[in-house]
Amino acid sequence: MTQADSDPVIHVVDDEAPFRRSLLFLLESAGWTACEHESAESFLAARPPLPAEGGCLVLDIRMPRISGLELQRRLAALDSPWPIVFITGHGDVDLAVQAMKDGAVDFLQKPFKDHAFLDAIERAVNLSRTRQEASRRSSEARELLARLSPREGEVARLLALGLSNKEIGRKLSISDNTVHVHRQRVMKKTGAGSAAELARLILRADPDGLDGQ
Amino acid sequence: MNVRCLFFARLCALLAAFWSVGGAAGELRIGVLAWLGDRTAAAQWQALGAGLQARLPETTVRMSYHDMAGLENALAVGELDFIITNPGHYVVLEVRHGATRIATQKIDPGRDSEHAVGSAVIVPNGRNDVRTLDDLRGKRIAATVPDDFSGWLTVWAELKRRGIDPESGGVTPLFAGLPMSRVLETLERGEADAGILRVCLLEHLIRQGRLPADRYRVLSPQDPSAPCLRSTPAYPGWVFAAAPHTPDALSRATLVALLSLDGRNDALSWGVPADYHPVHAMLRDLQVAPYDYLREYRLGAQIRRYWPVGAGLFAVLLLWLLYTLRVEVLVQRRTRELSAALATQQEIEESMQAQRQKMEHLSRLSILGQLSGTLAHELNQPLATIGNYARSLTRRIWTGKLSEEAVAQAAYEIASQAERAARILEGIRDFARKRASRREDCDAGKLVGETVALFRGMLARAPEVRIDDRLPADCRHVRVDRLQVQQVLLNLLKNAFDAHAAIGQHGQAIDIVLEQDDDRARIAVRDYGPGLAEADRARLFEPFFTTKPDGMGLGLSICKDIVEAHAGQLDVSQPEEGSGLRFSFTLPLATGKHHDAS
Repeated sequence: MTQADSDPVIHVVDDEAPFRRSLLFLLESAGWTACEHESAESFLAARPPLPAEGGCLVLDIRMPRISGLELQRRLAALDSPWPIVFITGHGDVDLAVQAMKDGAVDFLQKPFKDHAFLDAIERAVNLSRTRQEASRRSSEARELLARLSPREGEVARLLALGLSNKEIGRKLSISDNTVHVHRQRVMKKTGAGSAAELARLILRADPDGLDGQ
Repeated sequence: MNVRCLFFARLCALLAAFWSVGGAAGELRIGVLAWLGDRTAAAQWQALGAGLQARLPETTVRMSYHDMAGLENALAVGELDFIITNPGHYVVLEVRHGATRIATQKIDPGRDSEHAVGSAVIVPNGRNDVRTLDDLRGKRIAATVPDDFSGWLTVWAELKRRGIDPESGGVTPLFAGLPMSRVLETLERGEADAGILRVCLLEHLIRQGRLPADRYRVLSPQDPSAPCLRSTPAYPGWVFAAAPHTPDALSRATLVALLSLDGRNDALSWGVPADYHPVHAMLRDLQVAPYDYLREYRLGAQIRRYWPVGAGLFAVLLLWLLYTLRVEVLVQRRTRELSAALATQQEIEESMQAQRQKMEHLSRLSILGQLSGTLAHELNQPLATIGNYARSLTRRIWTGKLSEEAVAQAAYEIASQAERAARILEGIRDFARKRASRREDCDAGKLVGETVALFRGMLARAPEVRIDDRLPADCRHVRVDRLQVQQVLLNLLKNAFDAHAAIGQHGQAIDIVLEQDDDRARIAVRDYGPGLAEADRARLFEPFFTTKPDGMGLGLSICKDIVEAHAGQLDVSQPEEGSGLRFSFTLPLATGKHHDAS
């Protein structure tokens, strides 16, 4: 089975070897590429990057030393992009609530139906792809905005907020003509056709880009 | 004769003088005992009345006739001045009413009045078996009535003197009634062996030709030369007595008149009063009236004299009776109490046995309950794994990606997971089953090993259990109830695990040491938990004492029971080094050198 580095990968972290192997076997049956880790530590040591086509983690809640929830917290701290599907042998509501609050995709109790598990995997992988796309477009926007000079950047931000040339000139203590020249350059460099488009670009680059006047 | 006439003359003169001096003339009331009815008596005593009347012209002689009770009653109420009655009755009236005899009847002319009355006991001449009065023992003897002086009492006295007391059944009296001829009739009919006649009656009847002379003979004749034969002593005859209120003058006048009667028949033959002491003695001896009080006296006197002895004897008897009764009651009560106690003891033992089995069962269930979470996890694991493989295979068939390699892998995993689930269930089932104690020989090390495996199988992430088996090769077998010992070990392991969990050291290893302790095997389980204060250690084996937030406090108390049921001892101690507790218990080594096949 040949696979490219960009293909999605599912990482299974569970200390119970037979069960872990059965999950791998199931995932492979559904056509996924899967990797196994016998503990949280071994996954953290490997810290595989999220492939371009996405992927997800399958974590057992109860594991010796570092539990599934603990691993989730540590990954969040590391800004990990991996979506997480939890699996548990116990119907522990508190654990489930905590896991979902912390951004888990799903929380499955053993024994579970194969399609429920595979659906969860599908959703998690899609989520990873969406996140991947958003991140790619954000970096593109940041790249475009980086081409602007500091003054152009200021003019662009005020334009995105819907201010007129006259208002911008008054605010920046420059003439209307000067504002007009900057505006021409901003539109050219970013390729934005309107002030609204410019606003979307700025927000894509930085969701907080328009805050704090 | 001369003297007698002179005496009478003087007496009459004296009396006449006295009478005239008294000047009182009146009635002379004479009561007569009528044996055979008033008419017979009147006929018999008519001459006397007439004779006295003739000699006492200034008084009116009035004769009245009574039976014994009537005569006594009339005398008592003062209706009579004089009485005429038989010697026995006279003695009664003399004693009871103060009657004073003034003359005694002379029955047989020529005989003195001292010996006028007596009885003859007669038997038919053919009776050769009865020769004397002594031969009457056990015989029937015909008499008139019980209070007849010469018809019964005289003979009774004589028989009693000879040691044949009718009252003790020596002879059987048959009272034929009056007149005395009925005695003869009874004898004639053969209803009695002997009969009682007053003295001279037999001779009189023979003289009159009313009885053949040789028909009867008299037993034990006291005076064979006398004209009349008698079997009893002779007693004075009938009595003429004065009532106590009768004036002396009247008594004297009457006596004079009596003595001056001509004696042509019995009714007119009176002599000087006889000595009635023999009568008194006889009646006293018989203890009949007037000496009937002697019967009471005799009994009463004995009681009065001997009552302390009698009372003592009675008290002793009563005490003995009470004692016997008390002992009997006590024996019965003790027997009842004993059997009740035995029954109670058996009940208690049975209930204790049942209680222990229940507790063991409870403890098993309690452990099961505490472990159920991990147990569910344990069973979920193989089930989920098996499910995954099965669905994966199905999925691969659909997608056409099923390879032989994949099938082999899945099948192997499914089989091993199924076996794992089965092992868990088997261990639990054996453990949870309630059963009676059953001893068998088994290798202590093997038993500990199996139990540890069971313990680890029940926990999701069981800690390491290090077994240090120091038992020598020839002392490895213990005689125990395997499941009970497993239960003790499981409890101790679970406690050790909980102790580690309490300080967050779930993975801490537990130590087990097996060693020989004299004729026993000692098994010690040591944990590295927080340990216990001395006070808590002392209470550790008490039922319902627990240091765990959700513990029942039964585990160790049941363990102690089980170990003690194996004649062993369960102890807790502080390890010599490090923290934690060391529980150790002993088990009896099997005496024979058995080798457990299992």
